[in-house]
Amino acid sequence: MIEFDNVSKLYAGDACALRDISLTIQDGELIFLAGPSGAGKSTLLKMIAGIEKPTSGRVMVNGQDMSKLQAGSLPYLRRKLGLILQDQKLLNDRSILSNVMLPLIVTGAAAHEAESRARVALEKVGLVDKAHALPLTLSGGEQQRVAIARAIVNRPKIILADEPTAFLDRDNANKVLNALKVFQSAGVTCLISSHDEQFLDQASRVIYLNNGQITDAWNGNHIAA
Amino acid sequence: MTIWFREHLFALKSAFTHLRAGTGNFLFNVLVVAIALALPIAGLTLIENIRPISSQLSIEPEISIFVSPDTPRESATALSLPIKRLLKEDGITGKLSFIPKEKALSSMQDSSSLAEVLSTLGGNPLPDAYVLSLSNNDAAQLDRLVEQIKALQDVDVVQVDSAWVKRLAALVQIFQMGLLFMAITLGVVVIVVVFNATRLQVISHQAEISVTRLLGATNSFIHRPYYYTGALLGLLAGGLALGAIAASLAPLNKAIAEFAKLYASEFRLTPLGILPSLGLLAVSMFLGLCGAYLSVRRQLARAS
Repeated sequence: MIEFDNVSKLYAGDACALRDISLTIQDGELIFLAGPSGAGKSTLLKMIAGIEKPTSGRVMVNGQDMSKLQAGSLPYLRRKLGLILQDQKLLNDRSILSNVMLPLIVTGAAAHEAESRARVALEKVGLVDKAHALPLTLSGGEQQRVAIARAIVNRPKIILADEPTAFLDRDNANKVLNALKVFQSAGVTCLISSHDEQFLDQASRVIYLNNGQITDAWNGNHIAA
Repeated sequence: MTIWFREHLFALKSAFTHLRAGTGNFLFNVLVVAIALALPIAGLTLIENIRPISSQLSIEPEISIFVSPDTPRESATALSLPIKRLLKEDGITGKLSFIPKEKALSSMQDSSSLAEVLSTLGGNPLPDAYVLSLSNNDAAQLDRLVEQIKALQDVDVVQVDSAWVKRLAALVQIFQMGLLFMAITLGVVVIVVVFNATRLQVISHQAEISVTRLLGATNSFIHRPYYYTGALLGLLAGGLALGAIAASLAPLNKAIAEFAKLYASEFRLTPLGILPSLGLLAVSMFLGLCGAYLSVRRQLARAS
């Protein structure tokens, strides 16, 4: 479970990214964070991953207060998360298999075990036949699917996807979202930020953000304003 | 295979991957560090060659008393009594040894390359002699004793042997101190070179570091490949410096041999033994590791 308790985030120059956010996300939900660029969607995801810390309030991830988390414990928490970033952050000098193996390698997994699990993850996103290709030889949609394979290879409890369909055509965007829905159906909590409203009907809940505040929420019914 | 071992194996592989990507820069850094290490290693090689000579020589005051060549053996041996009396009068303790001229000749034939020259002389040109080893190091008292011995009948020449040995020992000590300061200075140079090389490497891998951090890599996991690279740089540079010094001894020894021949000596420089060499390799590897450690800690603390 993820909880935001009156969370605010101020950047230098008093730019306010989040204002007094209170939010509870149950295990296994597929949530879309919607809203325009600069609404605070990425900041909210970064707080769950421990990349950003709140200026005030409290963020709890699986019962762990992120503000009180020791720097040495952060890597172990991140191993339980699957991160999909807008720019994928793939290592372009390594094969996609090596990229997908990386989250397992950092945990000290044996190379042969990491490789077999990475191949399974690539199979799930339909890219196992391109295991030895370099990221830059793939299309944008394929690169995003590699990022998904890398995010799920560690069998995370939570997947955080920041604009995973940005710069993708509708066909590729659907493939990416379908892949995420498969994991959500297996009990994984998925938080997806997107400013593209055409996919929102696929979510179990949609949270609208604007100027760092929750302006609206929807779960089939209108639940907040 | 334990996780710890696997992590180190991965770090070592990553270090080699980084090296392959920047072989030219790495080899240049190895060369720079090797040059910095070569100077103290050369100095140490020289000291290790000189030390056995200086330690074999006595630093205690020693007086050689040469009896006049025509003195009969009985008179020569009887000379020990007035010498011992002088020692007693002056309150000086010492050991007096008589060296018959036959023994002196045989010893000279055995220990120098003058055997052929000596054999051409037909007779023994050496006189009977005494060697007086003293425990007292008072220069004034020593000078007075020398004058008193010179005045004895049948004494031809009196020679104080310890002065130049003392000077050599003092010079070796000064050289050792100088070498220590040079080694410390150049050790700092090595650390600085490795620090800067690692800094550039960390900057060029910033994207990779941030990705692995996001994927749950610990600081140790991120730091380790750079430690291995630094240690490897130090090790290779140490090996190169040792090899270069050892290789330079061959032509140097040719020149030394010519010079030593003038002093009837067969002195030659030999490379450092296995243990000192391994010790130096360990030190250079440690310096490389230190440079990398300081650099990575600083760079990644800033980045995070």
